Amino acid sequence: MRDERSYRVALVADRYVNPAPGQPDGLAVLAAAGWGVMQLPDDGYPAEVARQLLAGIADQVEEFSRHGYTFVVVGQRDGLAEALAGAGVAVPEGIVPATAAELGEFLEAQPVPPALAAAGEAGQRDSGASRVGGADGAQETTAARE
Amino acid sequence: MGVAFVAHCLLNQNSKVGDGAHCAGVYSPVVDVLREKGWRIEQMPCPELAFAGLNRFWAVREQYDTAAFRRHCHKLAIAVAGAIAARVEQGEEIVLVGVEGSPSMGVTITSSDPERGGRPAWPDGSPELTGGEGIFVEELHNELARRGITFRVAGERHAIPGFTEADQRARLESVLERGDA
Repeated sequence: MRDERSYRVALVADRYVNPAPGQPDGLAVLAAAGWGVMQLPDDGYPAEVARQLLAGIADQVEEFSRHGYTFVVVGQRDGLAEALAGAGVAVPEGIVPATAAELGEFLEAQPVPPALAAAGEAGQRDSGASRVGGADGAQETTAARE
Repeated sequence: MGVAFVAHCLLNQNSKVGDGAHCAGVYSPVVDVLREKGWRIEQMPCPELAFAGLNRFWAVREQYDTAAFRRHCHKLAIAVAGAIAARVEQGEEIVLVGVEGSPSMGVTITSSDPERGGRPAWPDGSPELTGGEGIFVEELHNELARRGITFRVAGERHAIPGFTEADQRARLESVLERGDA
C-alpha cells in the first residue's frame, strides 16, 4: 500500500479538539487540510498528570522534528514550552484562531515539510529507475502526498 | 456518552510505521463515529514512536516485549491512567479505542510470532494475528485495574482480514451504545 502521511503535525489545545458549541472546530479543519493532530492535555487535568503527558508529547515531537516533519501549535497550553525545551525542541509557530477560516488560512500558508520534499525526491529516483517517464511519475507521487 | 481515549495514530497517521499511514493525518472513520455519538476524544501517546522511532520496522509483540519497552509503556500508562482517573472522578464512562493487530495498541487482537527476528524478510499476510492485548494496552490495563477503574474497548481494524469500514463502524457503535466488547 502507498503511505499517505502528510508530514504535517499540529499540536492542538484540547478546546479545538473537543470544541464547545459555537467555537471553532480545529479537529475538523485539520482533518480536512490533511494535518495530523497531537492533542495537548485538557487544562482541567491535575498538574502532575499534565506534566507527564506533555513530557511524552515532547519526546514524540523530537522524533518527528529530527525527520523533517512540519509542526505548528493551535491554541495554547501552559507547560508546553518547558516540555519541548526538555526534549531540546523549540516551540513551533502558532495561532490561537477565532474562526475555522482563520485556522485554514494559517495552515495553507505553511511551507512544504522538508520530509515531504525528501520523499518526493526519493520517489523521483525510484520512478526514474523503474519506469519510462520517471519524471512524470515523481510529480504524480508528490502531488498525491500533498 | 463519555470519554474515548484513542490510539495516537487515529488522530495522527504520521506516527505510523513506514507504509502504514492510511490517510494524511486524522483517521476520520473512527473520529466521526465518536463525535456523532457525543463522545469526548482524548489522544493517548504512541508508545512505539518515541521508543523505536519513525524508521522502525513492522514488528510483532515478541520483538517489543522487553524490559526496557515495558518500562517505557508503564511510564506512559501512568500518565494516561492519571487522565482517565480524573475523568472517572467526574463520573464519565471510559472507552479505549486501540488498533487491532498492533503489538502495542491491540485491544483484543495483537500480533505474535516467536520466531520473527534477524534480517527483515517475511511474506506479507496476517498469520501473526492472535487474540490478546498489545503491550502498552496491557500495561495500561494493569495500571487501571490497580486503581479499580473499569473501561470498554474498541479497535480500529485495518489490519484484520475482511476489514470494511461499515463493519468497523458497526462494532464501534455497538461498544459506544451498549458497552459490548
